[in-house]
Amino acid sequence: MHHHITRQTFDPSHWVSALDPRVKLLSAFALLGLVISSHGIAFSLVVTVLSLALCLNLGVTPKTLALRFSEPVFIAGTVLILKLFCAGNLPLFTWHLAGIELVGHRDGLWEGVQIAGRIAGGVTILAVVGFSTPFTELMAALSWLRVPQSLIDVALFAWRYLFLLLEDAQVVYHAQRNRLGYVGYRRGLSSFGTLAGVLVIKAFDNSQSVTTAMVQRGYDGQMPMLLHKPFVARQVFCSLFFVSSLALIRFI
Amino acid sequence: MGRITCLTICCLLSAMPAFAMHISEGILPFDWAVLWSVLVLPFVALGVRQLNALSRDDLSLKPLVGLLAAVVFIISCMPIPVPTAGTCSHPCGTGVSAILVGPLASVLISAVALLIQALFLAHGGLSTLGANVFSMGVVGSFLGWFTFKALRRMGASLGVAGFLAGILADWGTYATTSLILAAGIRGNSPFLPLFSKVVIAFIPTQLPLGILEGVITAGMVQLLYKKRPDLLVRMKVITEQEVPDHV
Repeated sequence: MHHHITRQTFDPSHWVSALDPRVKLLSAFALLGLVISSHGIAFSLVVTVLSLALCLNLGVTPKTLALRFSEPVFIAGTVLILKLFCAGNLPLFTWHLAGIELVGHRDGLWEGVQIAGRIAGGVTILAVVGFSTPFTELMAALSWLRVPQSLIDVALFAWRYLFLLLEDAQVVYHAQRNRLGYVGYRRGLSSFGTLAGVLVIKAFDNSQSVTTAMVQRGYDGQMPMLLHKPFVARQVFCSLFFVSSLALIRFI
Repeated sequence: MGRITCLTICCLLSAMPAFAMHISEGILPFDWAVLWSVLVLPFVALGVRQLNALSRDDLSLKPLVGLLAAVVFIISCMPIPVPTAGTCSHPCGTGVSAILVGPLASVLISAVALLIQALFLAHGGLSTLGANVFSMGVVGSFLGWFTFKALRRMGASLGVAGFLAGILADWGTYATTSLILAAGIRGNSPFLPLFSKVVIAFIPTQLPLGILEGVITAGMVQLLYKKRPDLLVRMKVITEQEVPDHV
């Protein structure tokens, strides 16, 4: 379980963190739309550089960024190589490796670079949102955007108990490992199946006790949401200006 | 030339960790991202309707679905070594959630797990959420659920039905992911050759991983049957007559 999951929002006093989550989310959606509909690499690069600068300005360490982006970078690299060798018609170079001929294509490489650029742009936009907004505020913003309340409720329950179950899973996993539960492939699989089963049982039991406790506190099937403050005109105009400027760059 | 490129892709992708099964943010062009999001909407809407209807009678259902989403999230974060590829991979977990709470609720579970992964782990993304929910949530859940129900009707044991449901849910997810990926990134290239290359590229990790997911799903269902059959009865996976005597 090496994934880096964090509840922490970096620098809550930063102006990006202080932005209304609805404004932030709408701006992110608009930018994502612009990035994935863009042709060429320039616009994606501009967005990537701006978003990375914002992440660093938020106080996110380069190590955290490297961890967060390790998977998308790997995928972007793979797609790039895939397109280089498997798409296009204009030969760029030819390699002879152990009797195998590999032809890289100029147009394939360009297509790959465009996709890699879109990945970089999209992932960094999401990183800014993720690093600057607490989960509950994001869910409240999604609720304001008319995402069904049941889906939001399920997401809030999942987020609230994710860390609890993660700790349980780690305790069980270490207990199994100390008793040689992962020595040998068959035994490892069996231990993993047991671990997953134990987690499901814990989820069932926790859901019962959580419901009982919540009903005692007045739960009627609807989770209370954060109340939104009124929009701040300056934030809305600044975000509109920012997105419009980038849109202008995109269409130029 | 075709064989050479296939070989190249196999070599390149076989070392790819399987959390790459989520289609990354930005990889799909705008029109494809919209198409998959629109396709997945009816399933999410039906899931929400079913959850609303059922949770009117049972207030514990929403917390349960939420906690199962957390379990699916955790399961899909657990690395399992894949010997043929020399790398680590992980199961989807939607097969087992579909068996327990049904395919429509399982679509919601996968949507929530994928949303959290997209926002806080950079696995998948918002523009590819529709595509990822379609492959993992819709195809994985429905394939796993139909397989499990059909085999149980034919008299298969819980273990066998769970095993095959887990395998097909996993393989179905990857076949769909390959289709979505090939359609999304093909550009001007023909679809079928690229699709077959992506499928071949996934085989070294996903063929054994599907079998592992089957083993884990079967193990999980059997553990529940031995330790807590009441939960399986509550979720209508088994009837009260099937509860073992010692319980």
